[in-house]
This record gives sequence, structure tokens and C-alpha cells, in this order.
Amino acid sequence: MSEHNSEAAISVRDLWKVFGPKPEELINSEDAKLPRAELMKKTGNTAAVVDVSFDVAPNEVFVVMGLSGSGKSTLVRCLTRLIEPTAGSVEILGEDILKVNTSRLRHLRRTKFSMVFQHFGLLPHRKVIDNIAYALEVNGVKKEARHKRAQEVIDLVGLTGYGQSYPEQLSGGMQQRVGLARALAVDPAVMFLDEPFSALDPLIRRDMQAEVIRLHKEVGKTMVFITHDLSEAMKLGDRIAIMRDGAIVQMDTPENLVAKPADAYVADFMRDIPKSHVLTLKSLARAPKPGEATDGPELDASTVIRDASPIIIQAGRPIRVASNGKPLGIVSSEDVLKLIAGEEQ
Amino acid sequence: MSTAVVNKATKIIQIRRLYLFLFVVIAWVSLATIFRGRATLALPVSENSPFNDRVGAVAAAIRAGRFENPAFIYFFNPLREIIDSAVQLVRTLIAIPVSGSIIPVVGWFGVIGIVAFIVYASSNFKFTFLAVALLLGTGVLGMWTSTMDTIAMTLTAVIFSLGIGLPLGIWAGLSDRVLTFLRPFLDLAQIVPTLVYLAPLALFFLIGAASATIATMIYSIPIVIRITALGIRGLNNSPVEASISMGSTKRQTLAKVQLPMAKQTIILGVNQTVMAALSFVVIAALIGAPGLGGPIINALTVRNVGDGFVAGLAVVLVAIMLDRSTSAAVKTKKSFVPPSADEIKRRRLNVAAMGGFAVLSIYLSRNFLWAAVWPENINTSKIVSNATNTFVDYATTTLYFLTIGFRELITIAILNPLETLLAQSPWFLTVAAIAIIALIIGGRGVAILSVILLLAIVYTGLWRDTMLTLTQVIVATLLTMIIGITVGVWIGRSQKADTAIRPFLDAGQTLPAFVYLIPMLGLFGPTRFTAIATGIVYSIPVVTKLVADGIKNVPKSMVEAAIANGSTSWQVITKVQLPASKRSLLLAANQGLIFVLAVVVIGGFVGAGGLGYLVLLGSSKPEMQGKGLSAGLAILLLGIVIDRIAQTGARRK
Repeated sequence: MSEHNSEAAISVRDLWKVFGPKPEELINSEDAKLPRAELMKKTGNTAAVVDVSFDVAPNEVFVVMGLSGSGKSTLVRCLTRLIEPTAGSVEILGEDILKVNTSRLRHLRRTKFSMVFQHFGLLPHRKVIDNIAYALEVNGVKKEARHKRAQEVIDLVGLTGYGQSYPEQLSGGMQQRVGLARALAVDPAVMFLDEPFSALDPLIRRDMQAEVIRLHKEVGKTMVFITHDLSEAMKLGDRIAIMRDGAIVQMDTPENLVAKPADAYVADFMRDIPKSHVLTLKSLARAPKPGEATDGPELDASTVIRDASPIIIQAGRPIRVASNGKPLGIVSSEDVLKLIAGEEQ
Repeated sequence: MSTAVVNKATKIIQIRRLYLFLFVVIAWVSLATIFRGRATLALPVSENSPFNDRVGAVAAAIRAGRFENPAFIYFFNPLREIIDSAVQLVRTLIAIPVSGSIIPVVGWFGVIGIVAFIVYASSNFKFTFLAVALLLGTGVLGMWTSTMDTIAMTLTAVIFSLGIGLPLGIWAGLSDRVLTFLRPFLDLAQIVPTLVYLAPLALFFLIGAASATIATMIYSIPIVIRITALGIRGLNNSPVEASISMGSTKRQTLAKVQLPMAKQTIILGVNQTVMAALSFVVIAALIGAPGLGGPIINALTVRNVGDGFVAGLAVVLVAIMLDRSTSAAVKTKKSFVPPSADEIKRRRLNVAAMGGFAVLSIYLSRNFLWAAVWPENINTSKIVSNATNTFVDYATTTLYFLTIGFRELITIAILNPLETLLAQSPWFLTVAAIAIIALIIGGRGVAILSVILLLAIVYTGLWRDTMLTLTQVIVATLLTMIIGITVGVWIGRSQKADTAIRPFLDAGQTLPAFVYLIPMLGLFGPTRFTAIATGIVYSIPVVTKLVADGIKNVPKSMVEAAIANGSTSWQVITKVQLPASKRSLLLAANQGLIFVLAVVVIGGFVGAGGLGYLVLLGSSKPEMQGKGLSAGLAILLLGIVIDRIAQTGARRK
């Protein structure tokens, strides 16, 4: 087992979750590599999470992306032990979560990490404010103090004036704002979001994604965000882990995933993503050909191609690309066109 | 390709199974004709089999040890005394005179006040008015004191049942292990017909209010447990998971999330418990429960339909009152949002006013005779009874062709041939035939179980009586299914029909089975068919509802696709809706069989013969007690056979 990264907010090593009659026997066995149906037939087990390791840096938004049944929801539940993992270790803020006792685990859940659920998980018999104050309440915080804190997060997520409403009186998007507020109420160090916007319609989903980006800027939490929606993953993730059949197939920045997919499965996923929306000038920069103009405007290498293209067109000649003042090469409008044309095939 | 092969194979097996079934029936019928009248194991009513004698001896020994056996001294007797004092306490509150007085603690007017207050506090004015009117109705029928006794008995049993059943139900809702442990008992409790409980309990707890209460508790506690556990298990998991993820202890999750969310289901469970307890308290008159059951039994025994109708009507009024009062609390609060502050304030004032009325009425009922004892001159029992008897006479003479004609048609066309087949053929032939049918329907396990249980019935010496009862059960279930599927398909397809018919089905389900015997006796006289007709009427609501729900749950797209392909309504029903709701139909058949069995044995009261009659005989004649208890056992065994065959058949694809 490799060492945990002590710098990381979350550090996961060799994590397994097997459902079935004899889960331990499957760990590190050859059988674990079998396709799911065969594994089920042979051993009666289902490997939901297979030998997963990753680190999440403080304040990073780490997205786990996969289709349904890929094990992503089980993975996030293993991190907080809503589901007991079969093997491996999970360190959050330097503490091995799988080794702590029940009361310590409860304390961590009440104070250090929180979760947002796909189906909101709001308590229908409680007012919005009491839903949000719930974690504080079970931790024994006095009513006045917890309501004061709840009111702060209500304002933070844009629910001002709805504290006395009941969940059923709110729209889906508003309900998930309550879910977010509830997760923020304890000022956790780490937030887990399990497909929080899958149940919302597309327009609301876009608003909520923007909301998460805003909140992340304002409160700066470490986030583990589960989704099956690739564009959502691209939009929110500092890094993305792509899961398939319980294992992580590739883990990288959005840009690298698009530019260098690890296998056909990931490449297939990335095909629908407009490359120009994700890739930066860095990936196109090249040495000038003889005769090409080298006096175009200079742009930073981290500029997304989509944002750079109007400038390239306007300039009427190749632009210069530089990273921290160091020249990397040039990009012509033809290069951009080739990239866009390339993904149409 | 491979699925096509599999489909074809399944189809062949299905067709084969049908042919096999027909072949077995034909073989059975022909063999039964050849060997007719041989080895039928008929036992005259007044004779005991060796097994009956042994059971009788054991029963006598148990009775003799009542004051010596430690089990009695340290368990049964003290338990009986505790329950007895509780029952007597509740009865003195509203039903029987306090010692040294002629009136209970609270007189009739006080009871009206209390009921009005309780119903109003838990629902609204409409239900309050209804409850009070129904209660007054029982007084007008001249049944006030019996009604109060029935209510007192029901209340006591319900309080004990909830006290034991709610915690167990919550526990079973939270723990898989507890549920697994309790499940066999809960399943068995659904099969055992009410009549079977009574005699064994009387053996251990004597006859009287206490043993009636205990019997009622045994009947209703499984219902509390089942619904409470279901309420907790059926909750949406995400709030529970969210609660755990926020660091709640198990206790906190239970108290702050699970119980508040399951509250509506639990109240529904209370409603079901009250209704079950009421129906049981009525029949528990057989072991000395005071109240409305007594007059019904007397009337049935002497075949006085009019008197039975008066008491039965009072039961119906009480049933509707209790059902509406307890279910109103469920129905008035669909949403979790509480009313506004103004509304709450207004409501509090109203409730306080109603409380004031209750206090005043209690005061009046304790100080003025008119409010204490139901006025003697307001009593219509004679009028209603005579009117009923007149109507019954009219009906039996004028409607002769309808009622008796129908009865004779069914009796000659179905009942007699089937009875000949089951009861007049050699026992081993019938056992073999049932075993093969069980094998075809349910598989090997059920077939073996059926043979064992049927042999056990043979061993009790009551084979022929069991076959008489089985005949009635099968005929009643067949007719119930025909009616239930017809009406069920109708209301499953038409919302209008549903709105019109469902209230009657709901009402029908709340009434005690016992009550249905009275009008059936009036219509059809004391025969086997009366028991069958009662069984049909009693089980139609549950069967119809299950069928209707099955039809409703067929995916709309399936029906639309069939219509888009140009199917007629008949084709949609027979080719799509019925096949797609096969599981519901089989479940309905299973429930129908169990409900019918419970009622058919009660038919022993009205000349249906069979096992039910032997049970009743055993409880009235000491020398027949062994036979009565054996008959109860045979009913139970038969119930399990029927249930297992139908259940495994339903579970099979």
C-alpha cells in the first residue's frame, strides 16, 4: 500500500467495496478483473469499488464521473462510511476514517464533513430553517445559536425569506439550495455532493452549477462532486476521475482528459465535448512556419481556445502564445479551424 | 435467438402444465366416480375419533390443573386478572354500573360529549357530527349499554395491543433480524381464521371479558406490528441517510426523522387495529365478551333475523363511527405544512369549547338521570326487528325465484358435484389429487407440505368435515373471483366507477364478518349456501380492490400501444391488462381464499356444517370439546395448505 499524501485534504488508498457472500476473498484477486456479470455468476459477488486510490488537495473540486452502476455513489458513501468499505484506507484531514470509532465518526460527520444528496433528503416535517440547523441540533447546539447560523447560510445560498417554509412548498431547485445550505451550516472542511443536480431540469441545473462555483469561490471548501454529466464535470472539476465498473480509468484535469484520453472508453466520452471549449492555447502552440507573421498580439497559454478565437480572427494573423512571459510559439486561425473541424469527424 | 428458444420452451411448459392439470382433474373425477362412497372417513357428528378423545383428555387435564399447575398460578391466572381488572375498569367508566350505583362513572350524555371532543380534536366538525349521530343511533336502536360494552372491550384491547405492538413494530422496522424472527408469526396470524383462536384461549383464560380481550389482542397485535414496521421500512431512504450523514445517533434518527415521517402510516395502523379489534370483540362473544356480539349469536342460534339485524346494525354504526373517527386523523393531514397561526388559534378556541361541552355533559350525566341512563322510551329495537322480519318473510316468499332460485342453481350446478368429488371419494384419492395439483401449481416443496398437512388432517379424524368446508371455500372463492375480477376490471379502467364504488368497498372492509351472516340468513335461510354467500360478500371488497389496483398499475404505455394497434376494449382487457396484472390476480385469489375460509367456518352458525359447526359444538358441549379443538386445528391446517399452494403459485412466474 502506498503512503498517504499528508498534504491532501482527502487521501484514499486501495479502497474496495464488494457486495456479496464472501467479499474479502475478492480483494486483489484475479476474479476482480472479470466483467461484472461473469463475476456475479462465478462468485456471487458484485465489486462496486475496485482498488481505488486518489488524493484531493485542500480547496480542490474533485469530480468523480461515471455512468450509472459505475460505483461512483458507492465510492462517495465509502468515504464517509455511510457504506462500510471492504478494504483500504481513507484519510480525511489526516485522520484515518475507517479506523475511528462510532462516536468519533459521528463527531466528524457533525463538524468536519457534510453531504448533499441527489434526492435532497430533506425532512418533510421540518421547516427549512430547522432542516438546515439539523446537524447543529443533533450536535447539541442551542436553538438560538443554531437558528442564527442557519439564517446566515440561508442568506448565503439565496433563500432569504424562505426559512419558515416547508420543503414541499419549494421548487426542486430551491429544495436543493436547502440541501446545500444544510451541508454548509456546520462550516465543514470537506463537502461530498452526490449527483446533487441530476434530479433538476437543465435550466435550473445550470443555475445551481453556477451557484456551486460561486459558493466555492466564497467559502472555499474541499469538494468531492459526483456526477454522470460530463459537461457538468468539465465545468466544475479542477480534476476529474472517470470511473468504470468500480475502478478509476483515468484521473486528470479536464484539459488533459480531452487532449490525452487514456483509452477508447474515455475517448468515446470526450468525443461530444467541444475541444475548443476545454483546450487552451498551450495545446495548439507551435513554432512558426517560414513566412508566417510573428508580430500578432500575445495571449497567455492558459486561455481557452474558444475565448481566444475572436482575438485571432480580429488580428488577421497568427497570435503569439506565452506562459508567464515565456514565448511558447504561435497559433493561427487555421489551427483553430483544424481543431474544430477535427472533432466533427 | 436464444430468448426466442427460451420463450418457446416456457410456452410449451405452460401448455403442458395446463394439459397436465386437465388430465389430473379428469382422472380424479373418473376415479372418484368409480370408487364413490368408499373410504370417505365419515365420522358422525356426535362421535369422537381417537384423536378427538385424546385432545379432549388433554383439555380436561389443562382445565383440572387451573389452580395447581405452576403455569397457571404464575402466568395465566395473574395475566388474566390484570387484563380483567383493566377491562372492568374501562367498562365501569362507560358501560356497567359502578358498585353501589345504577350508572357507570360517565352516563350516556357524558359519553357523547367525550366522543365529540376526541373526534373534533383529531379531525373536524363534519366527522364529529357523524360520530355523534352514529352513537345516538345505537341508543335509538335500544343497544346503548351493549354498544358501550363493545366499545369498552375494543378500547382496552386496542390500548394493550398498541402498547405491545408499537414498540415491537418499530423494532421490526429498524432491525432485519427482528423482522425475520417475527415474520412467521405475522404470516401465520394472517391465515388463522378468527374462530380458531377462541376455544384454546378459553381453555387457558376461562370464559369472560379477560380471555376475550386477550384473544382480541392476539388477533390485532400482528396487525400493529406489520403496519408499523412497514411504515418505517417504506420511508424514502434519502432523509434517513442524510440524517446519518450529519452525525445523528440511531435514537436521534428514529425520533427526529423516521417516526415523524412514518406518523401517517402508524395512525393508519391504529385505525386498522381498532377495526380488527372491533370485529374480533363481536365474535369473541362466543367466549364471553360482553357487548353486541351476544345478541347476534342468540339471534343466529334461534334464527331470528330481526333481532340479529338490530344488534348487527348497531355494530355497523359503531364500526363506521370508529373507522371515520380514527381515519379522519389520517385523511385531514396529507401535507406536512401546518395551518397558519390564525387558523391554529381559531381551532384551539373551538377545541376548548368542545372540551367545555364535554365537561358539562359529563357533569350532567353524573347528576341528572335523563343524562345518565339512556331514556327507555327511545327504543326502536322491537319496531326495527319486526319490520325486518316482515321484510324477510316478504322476501323469502316474493323474491323466492331470485334468492332461492339462485341458491339452488349454485347448489345443484357447482356445490353438490364438487362436494361429491371431494367428500364422497376415498381420502387417499383426494390427498393424491390435491398433492399433484399442488405440484403443478406450486412445485415439489408445496406438494410435500400439502401431503403432510393433509395426512395430519386425516389423523384428526375430521377428514370428511374438512372436505365439506373445503368445498364451500372453493365455491365461494370461485364466485368471489368472478365478481371481483368483473368489478375490479371495471373500476380499474374507469375513474368514474372507482369514485362511485370504492367507498362501498372501503365500508364493506371495515365491517365484522359476523354481521354479514344476518342478512344472508334472511335471504337464503339456514343452508350451506348462506355461509358461501357471506364469504363472498365479505371477501369481495379486498379481492376487487386488489384486482383494480393491479389493472391500474399496468403501465399506461402498454395499454396505449394496444389501442394504437387497433385493439377493441375486450382485447385490451384480455390480452394486455389481465395478463399484465397476473400477479395481482393471484394475490387477490390468495386473499380471497383466506378471507372466505375465515367466514365459511363461522357459517357453522347458520347450518353450513363442516368444521365450523364442530368448533361451535365443541364450545357448547363439554363431551365434544376435544372434537371442537381438533376441528379448530383442522381449519388451521387447511388454511395453511390453501395459503401455501396459492402463495407459491402466485410467486412463480
